[in-house]
Amino acid sequence: MNETENRFTPPSGTPPIVQLKGIAKYFPGVIANEDVDLEVMPGEIHALLGENGAGKSTLMNILTGIYQADKGEIIIDGYDREFATPLQAIAAGIGMVHQHFKLVQAFTVAENIHLGWDQTPKRASRQVLEARTAELAKKFNLETRPGATVSDLSTGEQQRVEILRVLARQARLLILDEPTAVLTPAEARELFRALREFVSGGNAVIFISHKLDEVMEISDRISILRGGRKIATRETSECNPHMLANLMVGREIVLADMRGRGPDAAPVSEKPILVLDKVSAADETGAPALEDISLQVHAGEILGIAGVAGNGQRELSQVLTGVRPVTSGQVFVDGKPMKGANAAAFAAFGIGHIPEDRLHSGLAPALSITTNAVMREYGKPPVSSGGVYNPRSALTLAKDIAAAADVAIPDFGMPVRNLSGGNQQRLVARREMRIADRVLVAAYPSRGLDVGAINTMLRYIVELRDAGAGIILISEELEELLNLSDRIAVLYEGKVMGVVENDNLDIEEIGLLMGGRTKAKEAA
Amino acid sequence: MFGSLRLQRLPSAHPGIALAARAAAIFIALFVAGIAIAIAGMNPIELGGRVISASFGSAFGMEDLGVLVIPLILTGLAVAVGQQIGAWNIGAEGQFYAGAFAASAVGLFVPGPQWMILILMFIAGTVGGAVWILVPTLARAYANVNELITTLLLNFVATLLVYYVSTGPWRDRSGMANSATPPLSADVPYFWGIVHWGFPIAIGLAVVVALALSFSKWGYEVRLVGSNPSAAKYAGIPVRKHLITVMLLSGAIAGLAGMLEIAGTVHRLQGGISNNFGYLGIMVAVLARGSPLGVIFSGALMAFILNSGIILQTQGLTTSVVLAITGFILFLTAIGDELSYYRITREKA
Amino acid sequence: MDILTGLLTTAFLAGGVLALAALGEVLAERVGVVNLGVEGLMAMGAITGIATVTSVPSPMLGFLAALVVGALFGMLFASATVLLRANQVLCGLALTLMGTGLASTIGRNYSGMPAPVTFEPVQIPLLSQIPVLGPAFFSQNILVYLIYLVLPIFFSYLMFSTRHGLNMRAVGENPAAADAAGIPVNLMRFSYVTIGSALAAGAGAYLTLAFVPSWSDGVVAGRGWIAVALVIFAGYRPIMAALSGLLFGLITALGFIGQARGWPVAPAFLSMLPYLGTVAFIIVPVLAWQKMRRAMAAPAALAVPYFRDMR
Repeated sequence: MNETENRFTPPSGTPPIVQLKGIAKYFPGVIANEDVDLEVMPGEIHALLGENGAGKSTLMNILTGIYQADKGEIIIDGYDREFATPLQAIAAGIGMVHQHFKLVQAFTVAENIHLGWDQTPKRASRQVLEARTAELAKKFNLETRPGATVSDLSTGEQQRVEILRVLARQARLLILDEPTAVLTPAEARELFRALREFVSGGNAVIFISHKLDEVMEISDRISILRGGRKIATRETSECNPHMLANLMVGREIVLADMRGRGPDAAPVSEKPILVLDKVSAADETGAPALEDISLQVHAGEILGIAGVAGNGQRELSQVLTGVRPVTSGQVFVDGKPMKGANAAAFAAFGIGHIPEDRLHSGLAPALSITTNAVMREYGKPPVSSGGVYNPRSALTLAKDIAAAADVAIPDFGMPVRNLSGGNQQRLVARREMRIADRVLVAAYPSRGLDVGAINTMLRYIVELRDAGAGIILISEELEELLNLSDRIAVLYEGKVMGVVENDNLDIEEIGLLMGGRTKAKEAA
Repeated sequence: MFGSLRLQRLPSAHPGIALAARAAAIFIALFVAGIAIAIAGMNPIELGGRVISASFGSAFGMEDLGVLVIPLILTGLAVAVGQQIGAWNIGAEGQFYAGAFAASAVGLFVPGPQWMILILMFIAGTVGGAVWILVPTLARAYANVNELITTLLLNFVATLLVYYVSTGPWRDRSGMANSATPPLSADVPYFWGIVHWGFPIAIGLAVVVALALSFSKWGYEVRLVGSNPSAAKYAGIPVRKHLITVMLLSGAIAGLAGMLEIAGTVHRLQGGISNNFGYLGIMVAVLARGSPLGVIFSGALMAFILNSGIILQTQGLTTSVVLAITGFILFLTAIGDELSYYRITREKA
Repeated sequence: MDILTGLLTTAFLAGGVLALAALGEVLAERVGVVNLGVEGLMAMGAITGIATVTSVPSPMLGFLAALVVGALFGMLFASATVLLRANQVLCGLALTLMGTGLASTIGRNYSGMPAPVTFEPVQIPLLSQIPVLGPAFFSQNILVYLIYLVLPIFFSYLMFSTRHGLNMRAVGENPAAADAAGIPVNLMRFSYVTIGSALAAGAGAYLTLAFVPSWSDGVVAGRGWIAVALVIFAGYRPIMAALSGLLFGLITALGFIGQARGWPVAPAFLSMLPYLGTVAFIIVPVLAWQKMRRAMAAPAALAVPYFRDMR
């Protein structure tokens, strides 16, 4: 941090705004938190770092009254407190902006701000609420549209509504859970500015993240959680990303650049294997989602798709796998035009798909592991022949896939939702890799996984690339894209803003493209 | 909370526990019914004994049971088939009447040899049931209109229709009764005593459906669509086509139940040929946890419960009590199903 | 009485059953719980009304007794669906079977018997002199005023113009958000399901004490199901629910007039009109209301049980 002149220093003897001592929380078969101590001082931005499943969200849910700790104490301003309900935490000055916003999509901004608030007037018509909201927005210097319906807002705007809601209730401790996942680099900088302004008045922020660079940039101190325990608390000035990564994971890890090829790897092909030619497509409600997209993927290469989620990535992956028809333009697979949407034909051709939401699109959670494992090959021998389905052959195939995915399964007949997220993702990945001779479309493959599982997924992708398939990697983690892609395309509001070679890359430019601007426009 | 018991919710329930919960639900319901009977001044144990001896103690008793089993297995199968594709077919009652109506039309007005009439009645019954579920099916497939209420409302229309024709244009004008049609020109032959060939047909159909669902490519696709249509779409399965096919099949099976009832048991069309078979079919399917093979057993169980109600009519209890008890069993089963996800563990101190 | 006045009078009277039941179901579904037990609740309310009135000659007492019975059954249903989080559809069907079966059993002693006392019409001074609407609406029994005026206006104001209503609607849209905002989700759901069930039973008492007015086996005849369908048609809004009830009262009235005047259509077909009409009214608007979809949309968390502590 370089703005030390503005940093609020509390007088000596001031108690921390919040102190957690010995917090523990247990779930079926899982220790979510154990023996966690944490303290946050007034004027501080305190980062909570840890990989997925380390217990950060659980800890904050306890602090905000959504969960109750099984052991330990919560001390606010020196006084012992217990939060049986979220309302009590809010009354104590604690406000949280969750990773998945707790907004009512069908309500307006004003209605959401005034939800569950005892200061909302009893007679609360739309006009009254909107007027009050406009006043609050001015007071806290946060731009928002009181009468707009939340489902119409961008994720950045929705986040502002969440923050305004929390500030309106006079929060002194603001907790943000992975706030920059849905922001462009420019929006993230704007958020950081607002946070620094907030703490300069003696308030505090807990900033949950797994992104090392961000945490280094914004925080004063960093606490690292691993396996539900707090491993260490350090002054940010004493840290570097390498050391933080080690503390997060507990072992030496190398943040690897995986673009290099071994001698046996397949070369990048001359002709593209999959081409989108001026493709447009609509989303579920019929609104335009992709506009005039032209992309090419070659065999043996990884094409990264960068961009904040919600800019057409879902529709893009659906068009690439034949699930969604295009409204104009053509999709060419190995030079042949594909007519209409026909997911089965695309799959038969050798295009695999790791969907962004595996439980929603990639798996049937209530059906058995075997049934889910054979979803791509159930109609072909050996699983089926002449319309007859052979459960024993299906089980054999399922066992092969599970072995390749390195997932230990006691009972293949049990519902697939019993497996952990990481196991489910590996299973889906290997299932798709089996049929992905030509192309693999991977949408946010590392979402929700811990570092170990992420590394495995990325290794699978590289393995497939070296075998000669073309990979389209859609991701919201710029670092991941930089480590894997040969070329990167940026998606913004359904348009391809630019395609750049990864060798001579300007991160600044990618960030601008993600935000819808080009470098030339910025300068003008 | 130190060293105490904890309640945890698991992601899936063990099927054994779910079945045990159903058994418990039935016992509790019967126990409560017994208490209610005792309060009303009768001896529940003695009544129970009478029911059992009447049901199982004689060939006639077993045949009465057998006759009831046929429509219950079929309506249960119809509902279970609908559930396989993720649809709630509450309209089995109406499809039953529609099938009976169509089969009667053939049986009353189409001339020809017995064997031909029977085959035509068979076809008419299944088609009648499928036609009756057609509008709700298309509304669900193309406009995403929830089929629960649409199928159910048509039940009332079907019963009114059958009432109208059997007391009006088609009624038997010879004789004193004016609320039924003349006998139909074809009968389903008897299989065992008064139990007709519908019995093996019902069981056979349930087995065929079960085999198709587990051992065919079509069955795999149907199960996937019913469990998660989004995943099925991603796998390239035509969701809408399967939805329509299976829902029509569900209606056809219920229609077949109606045809077999009038052609095998009642031999004429009249109002009230269904003893709430369509609604009890829902219970049969739920008790069997949606399994086509399971409905054979839960259908038999439901037949026993219904038969007990009929037997106890002589004691002054109406068959509507059976409906109430069935509802109570369904209620307890729904609660039991949810509770079967929970596990009690001892927390480590 | 000319045709129009007669039609409207019957429409208001007949529609009152559906309007009250639909209003109750709007409340339940707005907090996210679908109660398919309305048919059974109406049956229980119907028999309670008649049974009370044969002992105590006060129709209002019969109505209140029905409300209490409905509330009790509603609490049973809410305990299963809200507290234990059992499947709402199955519990609702169970409630219908139980209520219908119980009512039939108890009702054997009252079969075909007309209600000894009923709700008498109350003329509103001045307003009842207006041509057509005067006799049709302002000369009805007191429950009609309650069902078409007092309750819809009250609940509409409550739901859309008060703080409480805002919180209540949030429970049906996004219970997790409501919970995080400090709103007592389970309490809200339990309460409104109970109130809704009471109103449904009240609609049954209205049937046997004001509309028919007598009990017979199967007197409810699917009206509970039509009421559930009307909630969808009315876009989950109280005033629209009352108007939808009136619309169906009109269809029913047409059927009566047809029978009375000997139209060349069999009575059975006229009786089918309400059911066929409901099916049409569920399907057709879905196609026509593409633009209004958001205004008429179901609460987003309808029929989904809420688990706070679920990993």
